[in-house]
Amino acid sequence: MIDQIRAELLKIRSTRTTLGLVVGMIGLIVLFALLSGLLTKAPNLATSEDQRGILDVGSTAGLFSALAGVMLITSEYRHGTIKPTFLFDPRRSRVLAAKAIAGLLAGIALGLVGVALGFGIGALALHTRGIPFALTGAQTALLIGGALAAVALWGVIGVAVGAIVRSQVGTIIGLLAWGLIIDNLLFAFVPSVGRYSPNRAENALEGLTAAHLLPAAAGGAVLLAWAAALTIAGILATARRDVT
Amino acid sequence: MSPPQAAVRAESLSKRFGSVLAVDDLSFALAPGTITGFLGPNGAGKTTTLRMLLGLTAPSKGRALVFDRPYAEVTRPALRIGAVLEATDFHPGRSGRDHLRTLSRSVGLSDIHADEALRRVELEQAAKRRVKGYSLGMRQRLGLAAALLGDPELLILDEPANGLDPEGVRWLRDFLRDFATQGRTVLVSSHVLAEVAQTVDQVLIINRGRLVAESRLAELTARVSGSVRVRTPETDRLRAALEREEIQTSSTNEHALLAHGTSSERVGQIAFAAGVPLYELVAESSSLEDVFLELTAQEQP
Repeated sequence: MIDQIRAELLKIRSTRTTLGLVVGMIGLIVLFALLSGLLTKAPNLATSEDQRGILDVGSTAGLFSALAGVMLITSEYRHGTIKPTFLFDPRRSRVLAAKAIAGLLAGIALGLVGVALGFGIGALALHTRGIPFALTGAQTALLIGGALAAVALWGVIGVAVGAIVRSQVGTIIGLLAWGLIIDNLLFAFVPSVGRYSPNRAENALEGLTAAHLLPAAAGGAVLLAWAAALTIAGILATARRDVT
Repeated sequence: MSPPQAAVRAESLSKRFGSVLAVDDLSFALAPGTITGFLGPNGAGKTTTLRMLLGLTAPSKGRALVFDRPYAEVTRPALRIGAVLEATDFHPGRSGRDHLRTLSRSVGLSDIHADEALRRVELEQAAKRRVKGYSLGMRQRLGLAAALLGDPELLILDEPANGLDPEGVRWLRDFLRDFATQGRTVLVSSHVLAEVAQTVDQVLIINRGRLVAESRLAELTARVSGSVRVRTPETDRLRAALEREEIQTSSTNEHALLAHGTSSERVGQIAFAAGVPLYELVAESSSLEDVFLELTAQEQP
């Protein structure tokens, strides 16, 4: 299993896709953090809830973590390398488990960079503008720890959804459509259901307190359950289908 | 009593895709140490059969076995079986060496094996270049290098000569011969008999998913020994003389005969001995390729 995980990590490192994801993520987070940290008017940054908006920009890394996970499996189907991969280890569930773990590790790495950048720039912006930091120590820990955990789990979710869908473009469009449209509509119109979505569970895990969100611990449990359930579905789908 | 060990065995193997029966009740066994050509026209079911042998595709019926087990149940299969299915199965942005390293790492082999495999297929110069810049021939070699990583005793290759230039085909032929002289087993598919005729010991010919011929190459070549066309004014006397020597004949018109399974020298001698004048004597040997085409001719439904 360790060998499999090492192989998957080498796959991540040995193409330029990963570099592109990292550069894109850093650029986007720095841009968002600077814009929101410097342009938000001071009266709108008084409460801890307000300040979360700029300090939590780093959780955008979750999008890139999910993409990295998606690439880890769908680029194998797209380029046909899934065939040698399964020839070398025909126990497909093990290959998928190794990919899920590699996705988690990639997510942790991206999360560390993204959350540190987002939180650092946000806090620096507050400090230089002389706005008092409104989050308690516990709230700060929840924000940072929750965002890190969520970004890491998005890497696993990316692998799992990619294993189910297989098509690279299809998976990415599906995840974006879910995250940008369907999830928002669901939460707006049926919040009692929508709050169990991975995205809203992530919000809860990071300590956001908007109406209808779950408590933080429950949010974490729901996000973890999504990652686990999708991974199992991905493993089952991969075990059954022919590889062509 | 179990049958003797075979390197590759298909038992009533069938695969259905929707309404199409791609592989239809295929059975064969390959002894260790043989080179077998797996032949048939495009779409005959060769690739599907190889995918079932390699555990990538599940049979609809029957069993596909390597070393008497389904592929997925072979212990550390990459160390016993090497396979190349398509010359395009690479990430274009990854170097050839990194491609091999990801695979060798997954089975706990060190990078030394990757470098050794690159050397065996003569790709060291391009090792660190991205596959995007490789020619088709180089990709075929890289695929072969991946198959060789675990130093396997069985090689399964799907159309390895596709897209190779004549020099590449010769290189591949030498390579496979060398591999087989070490007592290892090769199953190589092709839709062109000539590509493998100089390499293989035996052939399996399939058409429309069914086995149409299984023979040693020498037997197939014997079928090729052609007919001799003779023009003579005395066809009846010549026919009688040939049939006394147990040579089958058929007549094409009243002044010509076809003598089957013999040589022009022999027909000439028999005619001379019988005092039959000959106006024309032509050997019409059909090629190996003709036999192949005849065996795989599509029956019209």
